[in-house]
Amino acid sequence: MSTMTQREGRSRAWRLWLTSGPGLFWIILFLLFPSGIMLGIAFFTNSDFGSPVLPLSLSSFSQVAGFGILGWSGANFTVLARSLLQAGIATTMTILLAYPLVFFIVSRPANMRPVLLLFAIVPSWTNQVVRTYAWMQLLNPFAPVSHLAQWLGFIPPHLGLMPGNFAVFIGLTYNYLPYMVVPLYAAVEKLDWTLVEAGRDLYASGPKLFFNAVFPQTVPGLLSGIILVGIPAFGDYVVPQLLGGDKAMMLGSLIASQFTFSPDWPYGAALTIIMLVFTCVGLIVFRRLTQRLGGGEGAML
Amino acid sequence: MSNIPRGIRRGLFGLSLPVYALLYLPLSVIAIFSFAPSLHHPGINAAAYGALFNDPLVLAALRRSITLAFGSAILGTALGTLMGFGLNRFRPATGGGFWAGTLPSLIIYMPIIMPSLVFGISELIFFNLVHEYTGLLSAGLLTMGIAHVTFQSPYVALVVYARLTGLDPNLFEASQDLYANPLKSFLYLTIPVVRPALIGGFLLAITLSIDDFTISFFTAGPGSVTLPIYIYSAIARKGSSPEINALGSLMIATVIGVALLYYFVTRHQQQRSRQIPAVA
Repeated sequence: MSTMTQREGRSRAWRLWLTSGPGLFWIILFLLFPSGIMLGIAFFTNSDFGSPVLPLSLSSFSQVAGFGILGWSGANFTVLARSLLQAGIATTMTILLAYPLVFFIVSRPANMRPVLLLFAIVPSWTNQVVRTYAWMQLLNPFAPVSHLAQWLGFIPPHLGLMPGNFAVFIGLTYNYLPYMVVPLYAAVEKLDWTLVEAGRDLYASGPKLFFNAVFPQTVPGLLSGIILVGIPAFGDYVVPQLLGGDKAMMLGSLIASQFTFSPDWPYGAALTIIMLVFTCVGLIVFRRLTQRLGGGEGAML
Repeated sequence: MSNIPRGIRRGLFGLSLPVYALLYLPLSVIAIFSFAPSLHHPGINAAAYGALFNDPLVLAALRRSITLAFGSAILGTALGTLMGFGLNRFRPATGGGFWAGTLPSLIIYMPIIMPSLVFGISELIFFNLVHEYTGLLSAGLLTMGIAHVTFQSPYVALVVYARLTGLDPNLFEASQDLYANPLKSFLYLTIPVVRPALIGGFLLAITLSIDDFTISFFTAGPGSVTLPIYIYSAIARKGSSPEINALGSLMIATVIGVALLYYFVTRHQQQRSRQIPAVA
């Protein structure tokens, strides 16, 4: 390598940090550094006021594993399992709703598609609290939906569909459906229909045609959708808080309560590490899958 | 292009209609219930809207929300645009290795990927400690603004980056050949070219700010109750009421207005680059 290109490369790197530097520095200072502090706090001891004090210990992690003053309890594992299950079920539901919607949009003339897509996305631009509040009114014991469920015998009389696991499932599905629609639409819009033609020429039809010629082409979009829905649904705070109640508690509410009502920062930080570990594992697994299946990232960084 | 058989097309329409209905049912419920009768106002009426505009708490929260959204969006757009521009123009062609390639991308994706609860609580702890040791940054609109800029700027960077990617690199070579210095080339070439992305990114930043609850909730102080936080505490305190529904309706209407604005501003650009609007 000549000195000229070396100097040019160095000047490019310098300009890169000059332009991108302020923004990157902002994120480092106000997000990377704070989350580092929080991870550190997990190794401190809790004081009577809920703030972290020395000595360093692993007691917060044994608390996470369920060991307390009163002996062992499996409550935390239940909460973790429930969070994973809710995220999984809600993601599955968004997939089932998004596929027909996306293919419907693509089956329309090209000039109508952006509007139809926009209509599917606009609800997600409303504040999450407002959206969840709407479901509180739809599912409460006095709402017609609850009367119907009572009449059909799904729930005992005088009880509503909320608070509970069912309401959380509905809330999560509703909140994150657009996050499945967008990447799926991106994949379906550039679908290679000649492959479908070829399949038809080979006398494939119906489900066989879909699963062999169409579905494989949508997998990269589907995987990004699973990341975009599953991860935030797993860590959601507003939905389980407003629609869940005590028996439907998810990890987010458990963490938040360690910083609000009954402060115990080290315990809360240790729980956060658990959340981050599951988030990262999910992210890495699905990224690997996407890379293996050759998902194009287009204009991504 | 798409040659879906007519029968399947009908089926898709039949399956999609309920999904669209599901998407708009809760929003309509909010709008309908805002006209519901309340204790002092029997019958269907718009009294809740009147009560809203006479409530000093609501008006103060509205003022704070607007200040927060615009203030953070201006800084977020500036930082995000510079990040998107720098990464697009100055990242070495080969990817730049770790320091100039992977690391900046990792940092930019961090605020997008991190669960907002973890984001909010990290900031809560950070601002708490900073305040404890230096007396600066007590929880309030300023700390909320800092947090909002942190999650807005990466989205703006992605929008600007995507816009620049579709551009002919020879344009920049040409401006250099015409003796424009980097600053001039940025002001007279880059800014006009990315203007649609800039406006789109700014509106996206505003929407992100208005839409956020979790991060705002954990970075807010006692004197910085914004609209989402006001609604949340009102629900927790007294459940549903026509006033909250009226407030919700107005917020939904605003967001739909901004969404339409965003659509018309970026439509021009979309037709050329077939870009897909972002979810916020």
